[in-house]
Amino acid sequence: MFQPVQDGTINWLFIGGTLVVGGGLLALLHGFAPPVRRWVIAILTFLAGLYFALEFFMPRHNVLTPWRDSVADLLQVLAAFTFGLGVLNQFLIHGRNILHRTPNWPFSVAFFSGFLLMLGTGLLQHYAPHFLAAVPPQGAIGVLGFWEAAYRVLFEGALQALSATVFALLAFFIASAAYRAFRIRTLEAGLLMVTATIVMLANVPIGQQWLTGWIPEESPWAWLRLEKLAHWLQTQINAPTMRAILFGLWVGALGMALRIILGLERSFTIGRQ
Amino acid sequence: MEHADWSTLYPWLVWALTIVIGVGILLASLGKQLHIRRLPAIDAIEEAVGRATEMGRPILFVPGLADVDVPTFQAIAIAGHVARLAARYRTRVLMPVTNTVVLTMAEQVLREAYAEGGAPQAFRAEDVRFLSGDQFAFASGVVGLMNREQVAANFFFGVFAAESLILAETGQTLGAIQIAGTPSTLQIPFFIAACDFTVIGEEYYAVTAYLTREAILLGSVWGQDICRIALAALILGTTVAQHWLPSSVMKFLKG
Repeated sequence: MFQPVQDGTINWLFIGGTLVVGGGLLALLHGFAPPVRRWVIAILTFLAGLYFALEFFMPRHNVLTPWRDSVADLLQVLAAFTFGLGVLNQFLIHGRNILHRTPNWPFSVAFFSGFLLMLGTGLLQHYAPHFLAAVPPQGAIGVLGFWEAAYRVLFEGALQALSATVFALLAFFIASAAYRAFRIRTLEAGLLMVTATIVMLANVPIGQQWLTGWIPEESPWAWLRLEKLAHWLQTQINAPTMRAILFGLWVGALGMALRIILGLERSFTIGRQ
Repeated sequence: MEHADWSTLYPWLVWALTIVIGVGILLASLGKQLHIRRLPAIDAIEEAVGRATEMGRPILFVPGLADVDVPTFQAIAIAGHVARLAARYRTRVLMPVTNTVVLTMAEQVLREAYAEGGAPQAFRAEDVRFLSGDQFAFASGVVGLMNREQVAANFFFGVFAAESLILAETGQTLGAIQIAGTPSTLQIPFFIAACDFTVIGEEYYAVTAYLTREAILLGSVWGQDICRIALAALILGTTVAQHWLPSSVMKFLKG
């Protein structure tokens, strides 16, 4: 339906026109009195929900299908508008911290340093790799330019390593949470302790081979082997319970979606009455 | 994107469930009196806000990692109720977010909630913060915020992944009262282990009905409960009857 525009000038005109029309519509919406604005938002929400529901439930390639991707892209366009607000939010908070010398203002300096360093390096390695730096000779294999190397150091050497470090902390948090969960103070905690012990032991050699490995597979007592007990617990107790929870969740999500589309859930979209 | 395949049970089931929920809403709007059972986790919200007020410390509300989605809408709706309560006592609610669309929604909802709570001046725009779109950068940002602000109550509502336990355990070490609810089934055990109260499964979507007691929302929850009973009966019935039902019917049911 909507083919990408090939002509650069027309493309820019489209972008400019979209910004003007979008800004105008937002200004118009803000100009309405709150009750009118609420109704406009409620009607738009209803139409958007109805569009996707009808498009899905009508037979394949129906009259609504050609518009589907374009309508879905609207969310991306709205998200792009709000991205600037996110950056602005960070700048305002950290800028205020530095200006007012709040107790943690050095963290805000670190934020601006990291932001500008990452932004500058990223832009330079992509758009101006020759800026103030020698570039590798033509045909050189495995040699990086300065800005590309700097970007990789920051992204792979710092950001990804820091993310991995935070993720690794999870191991210690799991240990402390497990310690609390396994303290036997109630019947439920006791059951949790017993089942968790069986499942954990069944997944390590000490449980599978040493503790119950001597019970023959053909024996009528083979069900006492830890791996069989663990399998039974996971498939007959755990899986059905999780499915039951999921059933409840999906029915709940269906009800919530219906309330949103019909404008009944007013807590976030159109204000309480 | 796929389309509904009407030769299977699924689209019929979705419409049937939708109609049942719709009937529940209709009955409630016509004046049918409906009851919703007690949810201790939701009853504890007021207690948590009160405790934060007594200690003179802020409240932290994390609406999860998801983009604009049904669970996030629910999380923001709950945040509005928490903020309304907090506004009565002039207590701060810190709300870090990981998505810029959610940021704008959250800021608006909290602003309105403080106004409705009678303390519009107590709302501080900088308390709703976009931290990062990266999962662990966001988690470390929230952990830093908890420690610096010494929060007294934590609310974790929304879609969470591996960072759930990092957040909840940090709150635990700070001694904060913690209430959580998530549709991410894999994270529920972590929240149960680390939080004081946890909303499980379908309760997550019943919170706003429980808090507002609005008849229409209660009707929706009533309709959902009827759906769940019907689904359980369907599963039980087909399990028992699979030996007697014709193969064509079984094929339809299996999709």
